[in-house]
Parts: sequence; structure tokens; C-alpha cells
Amino acid sequence: MAEYLGVRVHVPENDPTMLAYLQHAGTHRLTLQRCRDCGLLQYPPGTACEHCTCLDFDWAPVSGKGTIYSYEIVTHPIHPAYRDRVPYPIVLVELDEQRAVPAPDYALRVIATLVDAEGRPEHEERVAIGARVEVAFADLGDGLALPLFRLSDEPPEHALWRYPG
Amino acid sequence: MVNALRDRYAIVGIGETEFSRNSGRTTRALGVEAIRNAMRDAGLTPADVDGMLSYHGNDSTDSPTIAGDLGIRLNFYMDCSGGGSSTEALIGLAIGAIEAGMCRTVAVFRAMNGYTQARIGGTGRQAPVYTGGSIPQAIYGMTSAAQSFAPAFMRHMYEHGTTSEQVAHVKVAHSKHASNNPKAFYKERVTVDDVLSSRWITKPLHLLDCCVETDNGTAVIVTSIERARDLKQHPIHIMGVAGRTTKRKGNYHWSYAPISLHAGQYGGPIVFANAGVGPEDIDITGSYDAFTFTTLFQLEAYGFCKVGEGGEYVSSGIIELGGARPNNPSGGHLCEVYSHGMNMVIENVRQLRGLVDDYCPSWQQGEHTYDYSERGCRQVRDPEITMNLGWASPATGSALILRK
Repeated sequence: MAEYLGVRVHVPENDPTMLAYLQHAGTHRLTLQRCRDCGLLQYPPGTACEHCTCLDFDWAPVSGKGTIYSYEIVTHPIHPAYRDRVPYPIVLVELDEQRAVPAPDYALRVIATLVDAEGRPEHEERVAIGARVEVAFADLGDGLALPLFRLSDEPPEHALWRYPG
Repeated sequence: MVNALRDRYAIVGIGETEFSRNSGRTTRALGVEAIRNAMRDAGLTPADVDGMLSYHGNDSTDSPTIAGDLGIRLNFYMDCSGGGSSTEALIGLAIGAIEAGMCRTVAVFRAMNGYTQARIGGTGRQAPVYTGGSIPQAIYGMTSAAQSFAPAFMRHMYEHGTTSEQVAHVKVAHSKHASNNPKAFYKERVTVDDVLSSRWITKPLHLLDCCVETDNGTAVIVTSIERARDLKQHPIHIMGVAGRTTKRKGNYHWSYAPISLHAGQYGGPIVFANAGVGPEDIDITGSYDAFTFTTLFQLEAYGFCKVGEGGEYVSSGIIELGGARPNNPSGGHLCEVYSHGMNMVIENVRQLRGLVDDYCPSWQQGEHTYDYSERGCRQVRDPEITMNLGWASPATGSALILRK
């Protein structure tokens, strides 16, 4: 049985797209939908291409590298699974692929938690807009994994910005 | 709405229950009392109301049950899924239903035990299993509204230099307003320091950046201007509606940039064209202040200030009673009650009638002191036009412009 933080993960058979996303992550490569007509990637996984309405996709591995676009530090947990994890950072990562494509406001933006090398929530003082990150994976069981992010060794994309105080 | 319908419909009745954290009643009882109060306010009998619209998150009671209790026979009803920004949109749908000839007079209601049953903050309703829909967001511990919206505000701070201190002024202003509102849940005035020293919920949001959670029923009644003229209250004209406009990929508001700009950017041109006025004509704004910063997002998106200058706008005194364009004179969601948007529409109706229920001794005769000190007046002086700025998320909003 697949589970994450003690909670069962069950993607029903009638949702093969989301199941495939987690199965590809199970190989520890971040893999996204790529439209068979227009060739553009998309995230989050959907049932049609948001650019051309095509219903058919291939799955394309991406680098898993990106930059923190925004974030928050959760201190008041809501879901019981996160009660022992606070404070934890949630990051919005802009992936390196397909930035500003097909138009300036588009990008592949991914919500995930930012973790350290041991998979624990990253310390707040290390989280900043502009910091470079790379994908990490939490194995869920049944061959599935959940993409997370951790800080990379690369220099920041631009001057780091943190919440003041 | 096309321009031909401008001023052709009116809000003729408003009603609410007590605002509490222990209603001790069903949503059925709350909805019934709110609609009954709205009918009495309007001077309508159950035989006069033949349409009903409500919104819910599987936490309410349906229209046929509530109509049945009140002896109302319906010619039209819909119980729609929705939270914030539903109020304005359903007022627009009420006009559509009447215009289509389906019914004559519509009660729009929201009934919720938002504290004792389905808490809006998210506790008590957590899925015991992560399914496919939870993968892009919820599984990462991003479930409540505060957790979902926080990165949009953080990005606004990064892009525009907006500060926590600036948006704290929204809570300060609304707490001043609520101190002059006998039915407000939180009547105590707070300071900027009170907000900044309250505990973190999710950084950059403090506890006092977040709204109250309450139990309550609320209702408004919409009918044509011809019928409205025969009723008890001065009819409040509906000039224009927009709702619910969305950004691209509205289910994932963080996916499409700028994530710091609200969907009101699309609703503004619609509602202002329908109403034939612009932001400069609005005397009172009614923002959806689920959080302090959401007021700033809406004011920017609808053009009350330039994008990026909302921090200055909300901390300048403009939004306070006595300021150039007060916002949420009732205290709003931050201080009066959490009603999923209804109470800000009800307040604007009261303001336009000149019959705000404050601490002025003769408010029922429309006599106000305009002394906005604590436990005083909250009637804006002679407002002509108001606007409600609904919010469901950064990616979804509605708007409503009313006039005397």
C-alpha cells in the first residue's frame, strides 16, 4: 500500500494520468505530460492540453531543476499528517524548461515542500525567492514516489529575497 | 448583464441571524431565520417570494427544505457549490432568472455553522486518504485557504515591496468599524503592533491577518424595480454585476503569472461597463477580507489604485470611516462575521439606505452623528454608489455595484 506521512495514497484506476505521474516519479525522474500535437509540456497533470486541447500525451523527463518563485513557512498545521512537521516550507518552483513559453506569463510552476538531505523540512533561514533547487523524491510504496525539492549547489538566479523578519 | 438591465433590479430586503460561535441550531434554522428577517425587512410575505438561490460547500440546507419551512412555494431554485464571490454572482443569476420569466422575486441565502460544524480554516474535514486530486497541492501540506493563498501574497511583497505592517492597517481599520457595530463578533479595536505580534499561522500571515470563523445565516432579496417601488424600503438599485471571473488554470491559482494579481483584473472591465461608472465614482468598497492582504489584491485588481501600490492605499487612511473611500464599514470578515461574502453586500445596502445599525441613538430614523470614535457612528455621509469586490481565491472573483 502506498502512503505518505502515514496517510494512504490511493489514486483510483479511473485517474490514469495522475497515477502515471507518480509512477514515473517512482523511477526518480521528474516526468511531465508532453502534448502529442503541439509538443508543449504542462503541469499540473491535466486531461487535455491547455494550449491546444489535444487529449493525447507522452511523458517527458525534465531536468528537475528550477528556481524558487515564491514560498511560505507553515507554522500552524491543518492536516494531521503535518502536525509533527511544523514549521515547514512550501515552495513554488519555476522549472527551467519552457519558461515564458508560449507567452510571458506562462511557466511550469510546481508546488512542493522544500526538504533537506535527510528529507526533513528545510530550515526557514535557508529558504528564499531566487534560490536554485533540484527535485528530490519521497518513495510512497507500490513503485510510486512524490516529487519534492531541495536546495541545489548552484548560485542563486538573482539576489536572494527572504521575508523580512 | 447588458446595459439595458442597469438599475432595472433592486435589493429590497436584507436579513441575518445572530453572529456566533455556538449557534446551537441547524443550518436549516439559520437559513429560515435569515430569509424570514429579509422578508420582514422588505415587507414581503411568503406568497411574494417564488425564487431561491443558495451556495454551499456541502455544509448547508437546500432551498426546498428552507422554503418548505417558511411556506414558500418555489417557481425556481438552485443550490450552487461555492464559497466566496458567490454572493455577487448569485445576485446576477437572480436577475437572469427573473428576466427569463422563471420567477418574480428571489431570496439569495447562505447558512453555515462555520465554526461549530464545517470550519472554513480546514480542521475537522481532512481527507483520510490522498487521492489523485490532492497530488499537485494538498499532499504537500497546503490545504487551508491561508496555506493556499500565502505564496501569492509573498510574491506581492517581493515584486512590490509590500509589507506586513501595511496590510495590518486593513485589520486596524476594520476593527475600528466593527467597534461601532453592535452585532460584530469582534468589537475591540486593535493596533498594527497587535497584528504583527500575533502568532504566525503561515508566514507571511499572522493570526490577526486571518478572518473570524462563525455560525450564521444571511439573506438578500432581489426583485424588479417595478415591484421594488411598492415595498417597505427604499430600493437599492443594482447597477452592474460581474461573476465569477477566473484566471487561466483557476483551480491552481499559483500556476499562471502574475500570481500576485487577482482575477478582478478581468471582472473590473465587465462590472464597470455594465454599471456605466468607474472606480472614481465608488463611495464605499466592500472587499472580501478573508485575510488582510486579500483587500489589497482586490483594490488593485479593480483599479482603485495602481498594481503594486495597494500597500500604500490600505495604510493611507483612505479605507477608514472618515477617509475618502471607506472599505467594509461593518468590520467585514476580519471582525464582523464570516458569511462567505454576504455581510459586505448587506452592509452596503444599509449604507445606501442611510440606515446603518450603529450606536447612534436614532439610527432607525436615519439620524447619525458621523462621530466615528469607539462605540459611535459607522454611517458614511450620503453615499451614492457602492461596490462589492468578491474573492474565492487569487484566481476567482465577482463584483457588484449598487446605487441608492
